[in-house]
Amino acid sequence: MSLVRVLALKAVTLILVLFGVLMLVVLVLGATGVSDRILTAYVGEQLRAVRQELSQRIRDPVELERALETYRSELITAYGLDRPWYTRLPQMILRVLILDLGSSRTVTSFSGSSKVSDIILERLPNTVALVTTAVAISSAVGIALGARAALKAGSRYDRAVSLFSSVSFALPSWWMGLIYILAFSFYLGIFPFGGLYSTPPPTTPLERAADILWHATLPVLTLVTVILGGWAYISRTIVLNVTREDFVAVARAKGLKENLLMRRYIIRPAAPPIVTNIVFAISGSIGGAILTETVFNFPGMGRLYYEAITSFDENLVIALTYLYTLIYIASRFILEILYVVLDPRVRI
Amino acid sequence: MPAREWRVFWSSPTSKAGVLLLASMTIVSLYVLITYPQDFGLRIWNNPGYWADYPKEAPPSWVNLFTADKLPEHMVILTDSPAYTYSDGQYYKVYRLDFQYEYSDTPSFLSITLGPAIFYGRPPYLEITVERPDGLTVPLYFATAGTVLPEETPPYRRFDPSQRIFLSGEEQVARSLQLFLRMNNVDLSYNDVARLGPERIIFLELSGEGLGERVLKGRYIVNVVFIGDTHDDNLSWAKFVVGGKVYGLSGTDRIGRDLAAGLLFGFPVALLIGLVTSVLTTSIGSSLGIMSGYIGGRVDEIIQRVSDILNNIPLLPLLIFFTFIFKPSIWLIVMILVVFGWSGLTIVVRSIVLQVKSEQYVEAAVSLGAPRWRIMSRHVFPRIAPFILAQMILSTPSAILAEASLSFLGLGDPSLPSWGQMLDYSFRSGGVNIGLWWWIIPPGVLIVVTGLTFILLSLGLEPVVSPRLRRMR
Amino acid sequence: MMVLLDVRNLTIHYMTERGVLRAVEDVSFQLEKGETMGLVGESGCGKTSIALAIMRTLPDNVCFSSGELLFDGEDILAIPAERYDQEIRWRKISMVFQGALNSFNPVLRIGFQVAEPLMQSRKISWDKARGEVARLFSMLGLPEETIWRYPHELSGGMKQRAMLAMALILRPKLVILDEPTSALDVSVQTQIMNLLKRLKRDMGLAMIFITHDITLASDICDRISVMYAGELVELGDADDVLTNPLHPYTRKLLAATPRLRGDRPPEYIPGSPPDLVNPPSGCRFHPRCPVMFDRCISVRPPMFSSGRVKVRCLLYG
Ligand SMILES: Nc1ncnc2c1ncn2[C@@H]1O[C@H](COP(=O)(O)OP(=O)(O)O)[C@@H](O)[C@H]1O
Ligand SMILES: [Mg+2]
Repeated sequence: MSLVRVLALKAVTLILVLFGVLMLVVLVLGATGVSDRILTAYVGEQLRAVRQELSQRIRDPVELERALETYRSELITAYGLDRPWYTRLPQMILRVLILDLGSSRTVTSFSGSSKVSDIILERLPNTVALVTTAVAISSAVGIALGARAALKAGSRYDRAVSLFSSVSFALPSWWMGLIYILAFSFYLGIFPFGGLYSTPPPTTPLERAADILWHATLPVLTLVTVILGGWAYISRTIVLNVTREDFVAVARAKGLKENLLMRRYIIRPAAPPIVTNIVFAISGSIGGAILTETVFNFPGMGRLYYEAITSFDENLVIALTYLYTLIYIASRFILEILYVVLDPRVRI
Repeated sequence: MPAREWRVFWSSPTSKAGVLLLASMTIVSLYVLITYPQDFGLRIWNNPGYWADYPKEAPPSWVNLFTADKLPEHMVILTDSPAYTYSDGQYYKVYRLDFQYEYSDTPSFLSITLGPAIFYGRPPYLEITVERPDGLTVPLYFATAGTVLPEETPPYRRFDPSQRIFLSGEEQVARSLQLFLRMNNVDLSYNDVARLGPERIIFLELSGEGLGERVLKGRYIVNVVFIGDTHDDNLSWAKFVVGGKVYGLSGTDRIGRDLAAGLLFGFPVALLIGLVTSVLTTSIGSSLGIMSGYIGGRVDEIIQRVSDILNNIPLLPLLIFFTFIFKPSIWLIVMILVVFGWSGLTIVVRSIVLQVKSEQYVEAAVSLGAPRWRIMSRHVFPRIAPFILAQMILSTPSAILAEASLSFLGLGDPSLPSWGQMLDYSFRSGGVNIGLWWWIIPPGVLIVVTGLTFILLSLGLEPVVSPRLRRMR
Repeated sequence: MMVLLDVRNLTIHYMTERGVLRAVEDVSFQLEKGETMGLVGESGCGKTSIALAIMRTLPDNVCFSSGELLFDGEDILAIPAERYDQEIRWRKISMVFQGALNSFNPVLRIGFQVAEPLMQSRKISWDKARGEVARLFSMLGLPEETIWRYPHELSGGMKQRAMLAMALILRPKLVILDEPTSALDVSVQTQIMNLLKRLKRDMGLAMIFITHDITLASDICDRISVMYAGELVELGDADDVLTNPLHPYTRKLLAATPRLRGDRPPEYIPGSPPDLVNPPSGCRFHPRCPVMFDRCISVRPPMFSSGRVKVRCLLYG
């Protein structure tokens, strides 16, 4: 297969994924009647508000009811409640696809806006910052740990690293978070229990930054603890496989200096799979951060998603699911391209 | 597993540890399955009434081993026959509930529960008093066993099946305690008495100046005097509960649940979810992988496309979404994990099958005209079977973790209490912020240990699996 | 003629899960300047181990090694590792490894990898080293643009030529070729053999040609040494060994190779190679030997001289 074809196929797959996930979410919301329930409730709420307002102006009860009834049917048509749910479906998907995300029902942004895009844009950077920091730290430390373990394969150090990664593979991030809160916030009292800002937030920019750092320490530490082991394990495996390759023995036999050998014959060939993992890790952790954010009451996308689901905020749920998938597949595509750049074997 | 493979597997300490852990978890699970009622989740665990007479947020008893001041243990004293009876025209039956109290702290609450009372005439009268080690007698509670309705005929039954009196929250108890204190020259307002409650007023030393700080140690006797109209009037049993400040092996949570019971119940639940999910995922994943690699052509193309799509779906958000929309149920969670989880294995198995297929002896078998299923079962499957087994074991902890995570978000199946659900409740009720470590550490440790068991097993399998795979290169 | 390499009583044991594996036992031979010696034997008999010992790149799990390797009169096993690296490694002795198809780093260009020893020893840049690589490539029949190729873009034969170029880049006196053709198609194999013959003629190289195929060795070697289960069993001029094999194993080996103008079908050697953790007593070949007698079980035969050939067999004692 030619390279272009490979990339094109990947792109098509990823778009299918995006579309499929969106479909699935909308279908499930529609077919279970959740969508209808949500919209009916929404109409009811608006009607109550309007009734209050109208009752000031229209005194005659019959007149009032009639006015409300017209308003009601207008609303029902506007929301498409008079049609079966599946006729609303294409329109809904289309809107989301072009990123017209509508407005939320109950959840609002910190500044009070209920436009979905406002809400998300406010939270997205927090999550991205949290996850990237954690992945950056844990990949740097984990690769170093893992590579060292691979070079000393079989040693006590190696076994310690392996044990640590096994444990971290079974470690739920949110529980780790709870333990950290218990230890550092409750017993030692050196970090806050959650949130991202003190109340009231400090005024000078420097203090504000320090405040955020202070709040973000435990969430980052939690994520790092949980994904570090995976990093050590993966890099150990990759480096170990590379060191067992014939070409490393050849390079050694031909007298290449050890540091050059390390750089050109071990790290360089191990780079493509490791980079793959970095991208995977970031995209994977953005979804995974839902739990960590919940534990630390961290104002990110993950907690927003949880809030949206538990308050039946349909538009927000759809938009966030879409966004999660979008981030996920976008990073996968970047990965494909990175791989082409890094590994000559897939270049044609 | 053939003997040689088994030897290789068993030779590593990781495998031994894994097998040992798995065996103990299986034994615990079997014990739970045999001894726990089937509706444990709904009828017992998630039913606050069941836990009323348990101390709330009590740490485990063994903390007493590490402290000089012993916290009170939970005590339940029961009697079903009167200590003595006498009569002065009315019939007195005195039920004695006595216990030794040697702790350095007062109990967390007091309650008394009375079994069915049967009477033939006027409703009997009840008097509950406590005799303290210092000789003082504290009146607690007085009542008649209800009234008789005109259309009723004897024998009359009351307190059926039982009547619980929560002494620590009863207004009448507080009133009589206030009176008791005043008689001993201690003046306290009703509100103060109600705030202190019988658990302090009865168990603290009394001096002329007022209520002391120190606990009065020694023998306490609770007298339940049942005064009936006829000789046959009777109270079936009486139970006195001295709420502890420590409880059992694992302590209790906010509503008094014995955490040890929940922790134990978590074993079969975790194993069930983990094993069912991993068995289903691996069987689907590997059979599709074998089909895809072996049959090739259109089938291969379709399976590969589908698994590629599934592989690119962010699982956790969808998992949350689905469990929220549909009612949280363990089978739903398992189903979602399986439906979205088989694709990774399919891709790997397919590539291995392609390698095996191109090997000489398989090609030879094909050219000799061996039927397809035979080649699959004779040549292909044995080669990848250990790999699949290892994958199955390795995918178990992820399923357990997934269920735990969903439960932690409050999306657990209430009929099957799990460690994740315990942690959800502890987090949501603020247990972390007040440092209830016994409610937070053990469930998580069990999640980690369970996951680790399977990881150890798969690490132990590695030397069995990888030579077979390497041989193919 | 001058002796270039004198191997004396080389012994190598590996530590394995099952116990000590005696891979090479008391092997001695000499190699003269410009001479090609074939090291022949079934796979697993210790050929590669000898080569790695000469290259001083034995794996970590070697638990015992002894013997002397005199190269130009100096014991290269005894000199410090730094001196070996600076004076001998790749400059005087180089090697084409078995399984050359994986001998190249997949993410570096071929030319660069070939030039690396040159760049390091002469401390010159890649730009400067390229000319030399190009010259060598053209000598070995590789197009010049191969320099810019990545390993996966090369055919097996081209990779083998590039490996040869890498081995020759510092113009060593001795090249060890470990199964240089066994992974190649027959036609490519012939091309490489012809190339090797040309190199031998034009450059005056000494070569140790390792193979399990005795007829292939006969094509190029001046002398042949036959190994069985870690021991040298026969050593002599190629013509002598091939026309008049003395050791029963050598005879079997010759009979087992198909010939172009054969009058007999190839025979198989009955039995399987011995387990080197528990090698047979006495003569290691006795369990498979057609002419075995009682003493073979108890007495380890020494090297006997029979004419110009040395043979380790009690028949010649
Ligand atoms: N690193 C090692 N550890 C243990 N045994 C080894 C190692 N390398 C080679 N061997 C064993 O030593 C014997 C000789 O191997 P080798 O020198 O590679 O033989 P050949 O090159 O003739 O095939 C074989 O039985 C092989 O299994
Ligand atoms: Mg070899």
